[in-house]
Amino acid sequence: MKTQPTGAVLVAGGGIAGIQAALDLANSGYKVFMVEQKAAIGGVMAMLDKTFPTNDCAMCIMSPKLVEVGRHPNIDILTMTDIEAIEGVQGDFKVSVRRRPRYVDLGKCIACGLCAEKCPKKVTDTYNQGLIKRKAAYVLYPQAVPLKYVIDEEACIYLQKGKCGACAKVCPAGAIRLDEKETRQTLQVGAVILAPGYKAFDPTGLNHLAYGLHPDVMTSLEFERVLSASGPYGGHLMRPSDRREPHRIAWLQCVGSRDQNRCANFYCSAVCCMYAIKQAIIAKEHSEHPLECTIFYMDMRTHGKGFEDCYNEARHKHGVRFLRTRVHTVVPDQESGLLSLRYLSEQGHVQVEDFDMVILSVGLETPPDLRGWAANLGVELSPGGFARIDDFKPTATSREGIYVCGAFAGPKDIPQSVIEAGSAALCAGADLSAGRHTLTVRAEVPPERDVRGEPPRVGVFVCHCGINIGGVVDVPAVRDFARSLPNVAYVADNMYSCSQDTQNIISSKIREENLNRIVVAACSPKTHEPLFQETLAVAGINKYLLEFVNIRNQDSWVHMNQPELATAKAKDLVRMAVAKVLRLSPLREELLNISQAAMVVGGGVSGMAAALALARQGYPAVIVEREGTLGGQARHLFKTAKGDPIAARLAGLIAEVEADARIRVYLNAKLTKVEGFVGNFKSTVAANGVETVIEHGVAVIASGGQEAQPTEYLFGRDERVITGLELDRRLKAGDPGLAKTRTAVFIQCVGSREPERPYCSRICCTHSVLAALHLKELNPEMEVFVLYRDIRTYGEREGLYRRAREKGVVFIRYDCEQKPQVKATSEALEITIMDHVLRRPLLIPADLLTLASAIVPHRDEQLAQFFKVPMNADGFFVEAHVKLNPCAFATDGVFLCGLAHYPKPIDESIAQAQAAASAATVLLSQQTIRTSGTTAQADVRMCSGCGVCVSLCPYNAPSLKTDGPQAGKAEINPALCKGCGLCVASCRSGALQLQGFNDAQIMAMIEAA
Amino acid sequence: MTQAIVLKKGKTERFLDKVRHLIPKGENLNLCLTCGACASGCPATGLENMDPRKFLRMVMLGMDQEITKHPWVWMCSMCTRCTHVCPMEINIAGLVYEARKLWPREERPKGILGSCDMALRNESGSAMGTPPEDFTFVVEDVVAEVRESQPGWENLEAPLEKQGAHFFLSQNSREPVTEPDELVPLWKILHLAGADWTYSNQAWGGENYCMFLADDENWKKIASNTLNRAEELGCKVYLNTECGHSTFSVWQGNRKFGLKSPLEIAPMVAYYYEWIKAGKLKVSSDWNKDLKIKFTVQDPCNQIRKSFGDEQADKMRYVVKACVGEENFVEMFPNKSNNYCCGGGGGYLQSGYTEARFKYGKIKFDQIMTTGADYCLTPCHNCHAQIHELAKHFGGKYHVTHLWTIIALSLGVLAENEREYLGDDLKEVWLPGEPGTPDPFGER
Repeated sequence: MKTQPTGAVLVAGGGIAGIQAALDLANSGYKVFMVEQKAAIGGVMAMLDKTFPTNDCAMCIMSPKLVEVGRHPNIDILTMTDIEAIEGVQGDFKVSVRRRPRYVDLGKCIACGLCAEKCPKKVTDTYNQGLIKRKAAYVLYPQAVPLKYVIDEEACIYLQKGKCGACAKVCPAGAIRLDEKETRQTLQVGAVILAPGYKAFDPTGLNHLAYGLHPDVMTSLEFERVLSASGPYGGHLMRPSDRREPHRIAWLQCVGSRDQNRCANFYCSAVCCMYAIKQAIIAKEHSEHPLECTIFYMDMRTHGKGFEDCYNEARHKHGVRFLRTRVHTVVPDQESGLLSLRYLSEQGHVQVEDFDMVILSVGLETPPDLRGWAANLGVELSPGGFARIDDFKPTATSREGIYVCGAFAGPKDIPQSVIEAGSAALCAGADLSAGRHTLTVRAEVPPERDVRGEPPRVGVFVCHCGINIGGVVDVPAVRDFARSLPNVAYVADNMYSCSQDTQNIISSKIREENLNRIVVAACSPKTHEPLFQETLAVAGINKYLLEFVNIRNQDSWVHMNQPELATAKAKDLVRMAVAKVLRLSPLREELLNISQAAMVVGGGVSGMAAALALARQGYPAVIVEREGTLGGQARHLFKTAKGDPIAARLAGLIAEVEADARIRVYLNAKLTKVEGFVGNFKSTVAANGVETVIEHGVAVIASGGQEAQPTEYLFGRDERVITGLELDRRLKAGDPGLAKTRTAVFIQCVGSREPERPYCSRICCTHSVLAALHLKELNPEMEVFVLYRDIRTYGEREGLYRRAREKGVVFIRYDCEQKPQVKATSEALEITIMDHVLRRPLLIPADLLTLASAIVPHRDEQLAQFFKVPMNADGFFVEAHVKLNPCAFATDGVFLCGLAHYPKPIDESIAQAQAAASAATVLLSQQTIRTSGTTAQADVRMCSGCGVCVSLCPYNAPSLKTDGPQAGKAEINPALCKGCGLCVASCRSGALQLQGFNDAQIMAMIEAA
Repeated sequence: MTQAIVLKKGKTERFLDKVRHLIPKGENLNLCLTCGACASGCPATGLENMDPRKFLRMVMLGMDQEITKHPWVWMCSMCTRCTHVCPMEINIAGLVYEARKLWPREERPKGILGSCDMALRNESGSAMGTPPEDFTFVVEDVVAEVRESQPGWENLEAPLEKQGAHFFLSQNSREPVTEPDELVPLWKILHLAGADWTYSNQAWGGENYCMFLADDENWKKIASNTLNRAEELGCKVYLNTECGHSTFSVWQGNRKFGLKSPLEIAPMVAYYYEWIKAGKLKVSSDWNKDLKIKFTVQDPCNQIRKSFGDEQADKMRYVVKACVGEENFVEMFPNKSNNYCCGGGGGYLQSGYTEARFKYGKIKFDQIMTTGADYCLTPCHNCHAQIHELAKHFGGKYHVTHLWTIIALSLGVLAENEREYLGDDLKEVWLPGEPGTPDPFGER
């Protein structure tokens, strides 16, 4: 191995996981090659309409990331590229890639679309799941990155028959290269991250589902395109057969999952229950008349954060019908064209119902070619065909230096993919930390033009957002209206303003037209303002000279049935924005140094993993642990789902922490004070009677959780009733009494999914199934029963559930309304439950009853206050964004992992700890940070020194000066100020103004309204 | 029923553990997800307040007493439609087969028991007890009559004990015993196809009620007798007559009991297909061009789902379409390997559970009525009988025939007395020798 590792990483796959990994790495000092097989990055997420459980528009939350990757100076995107071989070792890999011809010069294509317009050849549009046609010259989707056209080799008449070439004739940029040949290239990198994703299960050929036989039977991914505003029907809900609106839709779950008969996928695909719920809710919203939605399922698996709430809302608020039964066959009615489903009711009676559409909730799988590819790269696969990983190294493949994230490491949702991306990026970066910043270039920001004194020249850009806005608001009319406003020098409308090419157009227009104030009328500034600010900076003007108007969420979406009024409102909003933008002035951002150290609150597995991850990146870390020993809850656990003995692995982890000179551990410790802000925290730790002040640039909250103490089923009153954790302790200790048990019973959801604690504790099903197997190993003659509500052994954990049944463990379902009854006699615990199949009470005499008790957070209110981080009603900390930022807080410089976020198993805790460390590394590696310009400012001449601002500010930004001529007057620390405006509103002297939202600016808006 | 099920503490000896190893894929029996797909697709669901899922559940919970001598085991036709989509591929039919054994042999349904015992009485293996010499007599008598009475058929053969013949043909007892004229169309087809075939008067009986009786020993005996006889004659192909359960009993018997027969065990329809495709059987659907009589087919579970699969179902459709015209063929849904059992299988017709059998068959009846077809064709005696009875019971106007009838009609060789199962609409169509009827010998 070379003395210094190559400071570059190859990311294979441009879906959301690959994107996140690439950004983490490129933003922390590594060069990234993003290799994508398709013509553009974006993966499956780019095809989705909305994302669960928040129903955010998938493209809307993703496009800023797409653009960031697209214009990142340290990310090279290689589209239409296949990885053929990876040679070498960790730190020094040589990756051979094959670059298939695009037939369009990336440098020259201006994405005008003339080639597609003139192309005579129509082909199936795979992005739209074959529901419509596209041309042989095409762009994958409107917001594609790179937004460059491509010629479909298989379909192109010229490439197939040597005649045509219409595209080349019309291309104004001379970008068509029909003689392009494939090339090969070798990339030198220090690490590789595999994020090739998955393929949706193809139900073609399953003779019982009528897929392919009837057009109104479609896969969930196809239905996603039907729902999508950018889809073939423009988001209008209709069935393909006759383009009529459906009245009744059925979803069939577990198609291509949990099935060893009609497919080979034994595992649960982990996402289908939630996406079906999401689709049902969205479909109801899209429907103009009452739509009946029915989901046919086996176990409802809503085990993620916020998922159970979403499930409950779907049932009670939206009226989605859930039927726990599997449908044998979808029968198309020859006369009516309806789809007839015959199913067994919960009572066991046969019912027959007709539906207008049937959606098959297809699972996720690794296609055979991907399996072969992985084998060639020396990456071992699990039984389900996913990259084999270790519970304690959740993103490391079997080949050193090659990491994995996303669905290729097991079926999973977007947040989990994003977490794994962070983990993989962290591990890859840690391997290469000696090579950090060796291959990267600094982004060139042009010098800022001083616009003060210039007459205002306003540019107004109005966005169609596909049909999101353009389908309701008359966008050209708004554009033309803007032209009539005073000082407006330039106007334009764009199909998708957030797409990379439009961003480029905007910045060049700013230069060409010498614009010095910009109004963007588009979507939500919450998600998109930073993107446009960046565009202003690239154009050489201060980024705060932007006014962002939301004519989507606040206009087209809410007034979709009144297009004329919506257009009028859009005009009003634009007029107000122009009035305000005229009064904006450039704002300054402060440059602050970042203290190159981290604090980790909590010394459990998550905390230790985070500290180790940071230390490996070269950053010292302090662990603050409330107890007298490291290890947290893992100390009580027996084995992981993959069968790893936890005690030994935990001891290894603790030894690693203790041996690392960069990590300092405070046991029996408590935080007593936290001051400062991102980059410059100053925290006081009290441990064993000594107080120590620690300076750190970032903090990771890993404060953990614990098992709730049950209050029912005779717990605490009969010693034969124990909790799951207690059973683990006994298993771990080798308690000889366990093997003598003749009948053991588990009760699930004890304290979870109840009105007073509505969330699912995620890990208990796997844990009980695993424990049941351990008991069966101890004594195969033991009778074991698991009384459950839904078995939630998501992903490949389903294999454990299968094995437990195989070994004879009996699973009996109960409803929350009819819980099992436990009676103690001297001979046995008599447990009575209604058998869900026979509908008869079943009396089980047992020796041991294990309660799968809920996982609860520590609910550390003080910690929340110290770091200004929010907590939800259940006491878990609330991350910045459920989907795309699951391990950071909205508060800058504070990160989150482990049980403090939500119940999760060890592998997921470690992945999240590493992802939190990765996000922290991005920040630490910058060494300096810029504060926001949108902060409050105090005018000492008017300040009366009353101190109301000091007492009100949730972020500790104002203070009263203690010395100097202005002592006693307020000042605002811009690094702490979040720009919320609370102090401004409360200032009785009018001494405080929020920059960018000062009185004059706001009044101008109001006057223009 | 709200009576509590009281379990015992610890492991108890139970039926499931005793039979698991006897059942193909028995290792899956524990894997039930209780999803209900089996029961929703089963026509026997609800009979005796039972369904496949419940039955398995009772077995799993060790409720041996309640399942012992449960009549439902005779109401399940062992069609395996449940297993077809079961995510865990649980062999319910295999379980029911073993559960039939929980009935003392002599207490099992008399009709099935009698038919099994009858087949053991003599060398014929006929469920009707027909002795070898009677079979020889009928065959020789009928063939002689055809040679005499039907012009062009002077050389028709129905060989017996022909050493070295390529095909050994089994024969369901129904035709020789009760309707000998029904034997003839198949002989004519074999003749025109130029097939080298033979009957034997030993082990010719194409029935195996011992299989339905869950009598392993005698199922094996009958299956091996007939395969052995075919081998003794030096045949290459064991050709099953158009009979579902008989095909399955030989095909599956060979596998289940490890008989290791070197013969190809084939269903009749597969060869109809070969011969039509090769031009050996020049069927024509012209007779139906103007009549536009509609036909549907019943896929016998034993020949399609349980053994030869969709490929076989597609061959049957090819044959039928060639005979009646593509445009006159109507599918029923679901079909092929996912078809509903008619309720004639599993010994149902002989079991005495007639009321249950009609309830079971109602789905099939409705399916056929939905097609609007005038005829339901099926290469299976039990399907034939049950579907015929369903029409009578529920008031359907469709007719049921074997494939040989319609093939012979389309060849122009179906004599007037061979039209027992055709309706009036077809009694006189393309009678041999009539003007317009093709002459199969004309070109030779």
